Amino acid sequence: MVDFRLDAVINGRKVSRPAKPSQRLLDFIRDDLNLTGNKEGCGAGECGTCSVFVDGVLMKSCLLPVAKAQGARIDTVESLAKTGELSVLQKAFHKAGASQCGYCIPGMVMAATAALRINPFADREEIKERLGGNICRCTGYQKIFDAVELARDVQNGRLPASALLEEDYTDGDFIGKNVRRLDAPSKVSGKLKYAGDMTMPGMLHVQVLRSPHAHARIVSIDTSAAEAMEGVEGVITCADVPGEDGFGVFVNDQPIMARGKVRYVGEAIAAVAAEDLVTARRALAAIKVEYEALPAVFDAFEAMQPGAPVLHDYAPDNLTKHIPIRVGDVEKGFAESDLVIEETYSTQAIEHAYLEPEAGLAYVDHDGVVTVLSPSQNITHHRHMLARIIAKPISKVRFIMSPVGGGFGGKEDMIYQGMLALLAMKTDRPVRLVFTREESIVSTAKRHPSRTTLRMGLTRDGRIKALQMKMVCDGGAYGLSTEGVMRKAAILGAGPYAIPNVQVDTYGIYTNNTPSGAFRSFGALQTQFATESHLDMAAERLGLDPFEIRRINAMQDGGFTHTKQKLGKVSLTKGLDALEKACGWEAGPPEQRGATRKDLGRADTRPPVALGARFEAPGKQEAAE
Amino acid sequence: MLICDEYLTPASLDEAFAAMAQHRGRSRIVAGCTDTLPWAREGRAGDVNIPVLIDVSRIPELNERRVDERRVRLGAATSIQSFLDDPALARALPAMPRCAVWFADDQIRVQATIGGNIVNASPAADATPCLIAHEAEVELAKNEGGKIARRRMKLADFVQGPSRTGLADGELLTAVECDALPGYGGSFEKVGHRRSLVISLVCLAVLVKLDAAGHTIEDLRLSIAGIGPRPLRLAQVEQFLRGQALSAGLLEQAADMPAPLVASRTRQEYRREVVRGFMLRGLINAAKRAGADPAALTPELEAAYG
Ligand SMILES: Cc1cc2nc3c(=O)[nH]c(=O)nc-3n(C[C@H](O)[C@H](O)[C@H](O)COP(=O)(O)OP(=O)(O)OC[C@H]3O[C@@H](n4cnc5c(N)ncnc54)[C@H](O)[C@@H]3O)c2cc1C
Repeated sequence: MVDFRLDAVINGRKVSRPAKPSQRLLDFIRDDLNLTGNKEGCGAGECGTCSVFVDGVLMKSCLLPVAKAQGARIDTVESLAKTGELSVLQKAFHKAGASQCGYCIPGMVMAATAALRINPFADREEIKERLGGNICRCTGYQKIFDAVELARDVQNGRLPASALLEEDYTDGDFIGKNVRRLDAPSKVSGKLKYAGDMTMPGMLHVQVLRSPHAHARIVSIDTSAAEAMEGVEGVITCADVPGEDGFGVFVNDQPIMARGKVRYVGEAIAAVAAEDLVTARRALAAIKVEYEALPAVFDAFEAMQPGAPVLHDYAPDNLTKHIPIRVGDVEKGFAESDLVIEETYSTQAIEHAYLEPEAGLAYVDHDGVVTVLSPSQNITHHRHMLARIIAKPISKVRFIMSPVGGGFGGKEDMIYQGMLALLAMKTDRPVRLVFTREESIVSTAKRHPSRTTLRMGLTRDGRIKALQMKMVCDGGAYGLSTEGVMRKAAILGAGPYAIPNVQVDTYGIYTNNTPSGAFRSFGALQTQFATESHLDMAAERLGLDPFEIRRINAMQDGGFTHTKQKLGKVSLTKGLDALEKACGWEAGPPEQRGATRKDLGRADTRPPVALGARFEAPGKQEAAE
Repeated sequence: MLICDEYLTPASLDEAFAAMAQHRGRSRIVAGCTDTLPWAREGRAGDVNIPVLIDVSRIPELNERRVDERRVRLGAATSIQSFLDDPALARALPAMPRCAVWFADDQIRVQATIGGNIVNASPAADATPCLIAHEAEVELAKNEGGKIARRRMKLADFVQGPSRTGLADGELLTAVECDALPGYGGSFEKVGHRRSLVISLVCLAVLVKLDAAGHTIEDLRLSIAGIGPRPLRLAQVEQFLRGQALSAGLLEQAADMPAPLVASRTRQEYRREVVRGFMLRGLINAAKRAGADPAALTPELEAAYG
């Protein structure tokens, strides 16, 4: 590789230093200049966490070979608050609560800065359009748009600068008020260091070899060629695990790296620590794995059939967990009902797609403490599991939680921390692994795909007499959080409704798909999707308003949940009242409402309900007309 | 990951050809890199080792543009953003700004080039159908014994299928020349999974010229992509509509015509429906922008598709 000299002005300072032809501008500013404010979220131009100004024009630095910056003026997020004082936009993001996990925020602030430079009077639709290249997964965008509008008005003098400073709470009076996040300044300025932003002297770069097969026996792994490569400091496989291998949230069924066989595409098989990323990647290509393909199963119902391929010896029927709930007698309840509705609902796997791909840094400290720093959502549990896996007393294992750039449940699993610990121990050097977006998607947990059959019996006045539910979830190749997800799905499945007769069964099943795991709402989404959809249908069939049918059945103060938990106060009806008011609901049974609905194109109409963000303007071209 | 040993940025065509000759068989041309970098990733080409990358985006000739009343010449490195920023281009190529505004996002448009869009030859490339509707020709150049030899080819023939073009070894795409169509009404219809950063499932470019009264279709151009391996000019529909008086019934008839052309690998049924809607919407919008007499179109049709 022929290094070349890059001359550029970066954040107002002349830079003249060697650069590698393979580097992207993003690598150069982050790795060589340690300007880690701008992040890498996807590496493919999709997410905008890496947006920087090149000669004043906003561009995605992950798509720019560094040579394209020759002679250019580059401004990163660090340029915005160079004097130490946040820019108006950054202050507005802080004020409006626009930063949550913060990982997209440096790019977002840059895009917003660009938008207001191009049009200082941009309206909300134009702001949306101009931020179209930047993705956020936490905020739902509304607060970001609020922040940009606030900054615009302050910059234009329509609002005083003090609008950025006002607090709407007084000390000791926080409930129901907008309280500013303490960590927002570090996020809007790009100063906050996520795991992938951190480095240590002597640090090695880790890459992971992953399975191309969904189900295969590993006949042999030959790492000798990789180990012999210059710059490779350590290669590990399951043979390097000194203790009792196996992690999970409820059942420890997943080895740190595949042991004997692989159970899904993307499962880790071996890991390499090398002096640089390119060497680590080349070393992966030099590892030889011989597989013997096994029949695989990709559907939960098929996996439940006798004779289906078995994933784990301990679970010959591929059952990870079954949770039953029984209250009263559902058959009696159906007999007392005037209307019985039965439907089947299915939901698909969903990726969390947090903007921060998994990353971690591990080292063995001066006291021999194996230390792992990562955005783990479950460090204490990880610490206990790792101690057992590496056969060390708990006092010799330390987990540090780095800022989580979005988790949503997806960072609960100890999917890579074990490999980092083993490599730090093997090489006695700090090691860092940063997932690519593709790696994050292929290897980490998804929301459980589900199929729910629901039968509900109601009397004419809208009271639910019986509910019978069976949900089967595809838990994928390993248990992870499946047991807990099945439990919550069952506990919450019948909804916050007082129902005398309930029968719920949820099943988590092993298949050769990507493992399913924790994801916001933890199973309740799948079952309640069925229950809530059912209630809307029942409202239609019974001529009731959808809000009304929910009020009729709502659990009351002092009542019990389906699992016999006593409820002190129930705020459901209060919530329904507030929601009905806020969305501008038009009362009435579903098929009778709509006389004043705007979307039906009649005169004197209004939107049927108020919705959230929508991209309405097709672009500045159309808008100009 | 795209791994290279050298990244060259030639300052002239001669320099580019010299580099191509010197590194023949171990180099690759890049311009904006917005197709090349995402291509060299896991799930697509994976890690790619190309010893020499030759970046042609700074060559002055590839950045030249000429526009007159009849013809437009666009250097291959013309950015997609140019169609939004340069009023002369927008006037001569009335559908192009509408294509550009739906293309990737504000940031990528600055970098993405028409040359890259054409040579990448994705069945869903947005700029290609638009240019095909303008009867575009590509200019291809190579070094022959120290002299630059140029040839031309119709863009519609140059793009042969996914990632397949008529580009010969040692050749560069230097420019695109096409009809200037000022006074035409243009529209560009596109559907993908979301608003920004999305490639087309189907896209349609429409250009319509009407008589002074806004009644008769004097000329029109239709080109579609995403429904098969390469973009198509809808010559039959053009022929059917040319010279006819604008009416709702006529447009409905025309909208049904392209359905049998849908030959995509996936979602044919869906695409057929989209094509019909796009034909109506595209024709109505282009006709309106060309000064259509409002009486020629029924209010129902306008409400549904306008
Ligand atoms: C997030 C994202 C969103 C996108 N959205 C869209 C979209 O909405 N619509 C769309 O159509 N595309 C889209 N693209 C694809 C891409 O941006 C375009 O195809 C773009 O026009 C490619 O141009 P480039 O200069 O960046 O190509 P490059 O990557 O530089 O080159 C692409 C190919 O063309 C060849 N090439 C380039 N220039 C020449 C030349 N002068 N002579 C010979 N060969 C040449 C290269 O060798 C390479 O094979 C998107 C890409 C990304 C990353």
